[in-house]
Parts: sequence; C-alpha cells; structure tokens
Amino acid sequence: MQAALALPIFTAPARAGPIDQGEVGLTFLGYKERGLMKISEPIAWGHAQIAESWEVRASAAVDIVTGASPELISNVTGRPVQTVTGASVSDRRTTWDVKVSRRIGEATLGVSRAISNEEDYRSRAFGLEAKLDLNERNTTINVAYGQSADRVRSADDPTLDEPRDTREYLVGWTQVLSPLALVQSTLQWSRGHGWYDDPYKHTLTFYPDDAPAFALDTRPSHRNSLAWLTRYRLHVPSARATFQADYRFYRDDWGIRSHALEVAWSQSIGERWSLRPALRLYSQSRADFYSAVIPRPAPAILSSDQRLAAFGGVSPSLRATLQLDGGWRVEGSVGYVRNAGNLRWGTGSDTFETLRAYYGIAGVSRAF
Amino acid sequence: MTRALAAISIVALLGACAPVAPYQRGYLARPDMALEASAGTAKALEKTYGSKEAASGSATVGGGGCGCN
Repeated sequence: MQAALALPIFTAPARAGPIDQGEVGLTFLGYKERGLMKISEPIAWGHAQIAESWEVRASAAVDIVTGASPELISNVTGRPVQTVTGASVSDRRTTWDVKVSRRIGEATLGVSRAISNEEDYRSRAFGLEAKLDLNERNTTINVAYGQSADRVRSADDPTLDEPRDTREYLVGWTQVLSPLALVQSTLQWSRGHGWYDDPYKHTLTFYPDDAPAFALDTRPSHRNSLAWLTRYRLHVPSARATFQADYRFYRDDWGIRSHALEVAWSQSIGERWSLRPALRLYSQSRADFYSAVIPRPAPAILSSDQRLAAFGGVSPSLRATLQLDGGWRVEGSVGYVRNAGNLRWGTGSDTFETLRAYYGIAGVSRAF
Repeated sequence: MTRALAAISIVALLGACAPVAPYQRGYLARPDMALEASAGTAKALEKTYGSKEAASGSATVGGGGCGCN
C-alpha cells in the first residue's frame, strides 16, 4: 500500500472574492488502465456560507475498484515483469469529509474531519487551519496542522492490523499580483511512522546459478516528506482566456524526488462555454529500496512496486464547462495518462512497465 | 544558493505588487482564476494521479489516506 494523502480538506483561498452563497454538486470519475485497474467514483460535494461569517464544506465519495492489480514481479521470462495472481481485485472505499470555518475580522479559523473506510484500510484524520488576510486582502497567509491515524489491513491476511500515523504541517502564502494575476505557494511537511509494507506486493527472482528467491514487500517504518506547490493564474482579457500553471516539487526520506507541472489554457467561448486544454508532466526518481529483482545478498527492505520506480508521465486533458441559467453548471473532462521509464527527466527504471490509462470526469452543480 | 534565490524572488515579487482595490478584482473572481478546480473534479484528479505516483501533497492537510491498489 502506498501513502496517498488524497482528500483536500484545507483548501487555501481559491478565489479572490466570494461570488456565491453556496454550491452543491455531483461528480463522477471513470478511470481505466489498459489491462489492469478500473475505478469508478461518484462524489457528492457542497459548500455554503452561513450567517456571513461561517462556512461549511463537505463531500462524500465511494471508490469502486475492480480489475487486476499487479501483485508479483517475477523474472521467470528473463526480465522482471508484473504478474497478476489470484482472483481479480474488487474493493470499495467510502469516504467523507467536512470542514467548518469562521471568519473573525481579517482572520479565518477552520477545523476539519475526514473519515475513510475500505476492507483493508481505515483512516481517521482531522485538521486545524488559521488564515490571515493582509494588505487590503491582497495577501493571505495560512498555517495548518493535520493528523491522521490509519490502520493497514489485508484481505489476504486477517491477522494484519497495523497502525500508520501521519502528522502534517502547512504554511501558505497567496498574493494578488495585479488585477489580472495571482500566485499561491504552499509548503507542506509530513511526518509519518508505522506500517508501510504493501501486503499485496511480492517479488520472485530466478538466478541462473542458484535457487529462486521470494520476498515480501518490506519498507521503512517511517516516511517524512516535503511538498512545495506553487500555482499561478493570469487572465488575458483580450483573448477572453486564463493561463494556469501549477508546479509541485516533492522529496521524501525514501529517496524519492519528483516534479509535477501542469499548464492549461482556459478559453471562454461565448457567454456560456469554456474549454480548457491542459498538459501535465511528471517525473520521479526511484526509492532507495526499490528493485525489480532481489539482489544478493537480499536487503532488509525491498519493494518491487513500480510506483516506487524512476519514471515519468505525460497526461493531456480537455475540460469543457457549460454555464446554464439558475446557477446550474455542467462540466466534463477527458484525459489520457501515459507513465513510462523513458519519460523521466533523466534516466528511468528500465524495468518500469508502461502504464496507459484513460479517464473521464462528468459533473453537474448548482450555485445558490 | 537555491533557497537564497527563492527568498530574493519572493521579496522582489512582493515589492513589485501594488495593492489591487476591491473594485479592480472582477477578473480575479472569475471561475477560471480559481486555484482549485470544482471540488468534485479536484478530488477525482487527486485520485487519478495520486494512486499511481509515489508523490503526494497539495495545499491541504488533514485529508487522511487510502490503501490505493
């Protein structure tokens, strides 16, 4: 299993000024990998401003995962390849989160709670945030603290029930640069300890001059990381369009360094439509303990999970938005994901098996 | 060196910013100037990429984790 702090609860100010009293929406994600996993995820979400100074945000979602998950990396055919063993995967995850915040003068204080349950993983998290507007609300700084207490289990091993605890710290800064541009930069530190081994991943290695070796996935019992995210928006009135750029640098004490860059052009068409073509580029180095084969002598920690390999990704996407009367909005996105060793900015793992996936996101919402 | 350059850039950027009055913020309030996509789309994209990459992290904390296959 891989840590994936996935639910955005403390969202830094997304707009320079509130324009709605609230909004509710339904979104559906469909994701399909060629030959492997398929994910369906309906999401209900909403936010509302209450009595001017209070705001509530909430969402609930169900992940339905089916298909085949690679469980064994074996070089029986001569080179390490992913092998799907046993029955196909069928998993369901339910999750919800809620955040309540209150504005007091130029400050906003918030508290959040998130719950996630699946057959082999349980997460309980909370967060605290303080935000302060400065410089006639042209500058916003925010600090946040989050903590999650997770339990790692396994559908294959009923005896497995181990903790994984994570503490997160965040400091952010949002700046209005001009009537047409703004930038936000956030630093997030995460300190985790507990069980990180993936109970579903195994490595089988054949040697030309020795008996084959079999290894369970074993990882360090801690993971400390830093993520630095910067987002920039520039509106171009003459083109009726907005340029969007997001960049995230990530590093952790497993040896992983990654860069994720997304650039997009949101083009208004008429009074109701907008189209947003985007390109996302990704690159990461491998974890220190990643290997697709078991070295000799066998190390104390080893994982052949190719999500820990060195690889890169390219993902083009297109989003269309239709604004209707009465506050209704319809939104749809389609995207393609290709992850491969040779797409890394540098040398990738030659054992990385190329991932090709498609996704579609459809949503309808109503502002009130 | 990198940190020093980053700090200098931030200070220079702040110094270059003249306050924008509320009546000048019409463009900033446009939906396409939002830093996040709509909540549902943002969560769906986080799921799409987060479960296949080793890195994570955004402008949020306290979201908990998942056992992503």
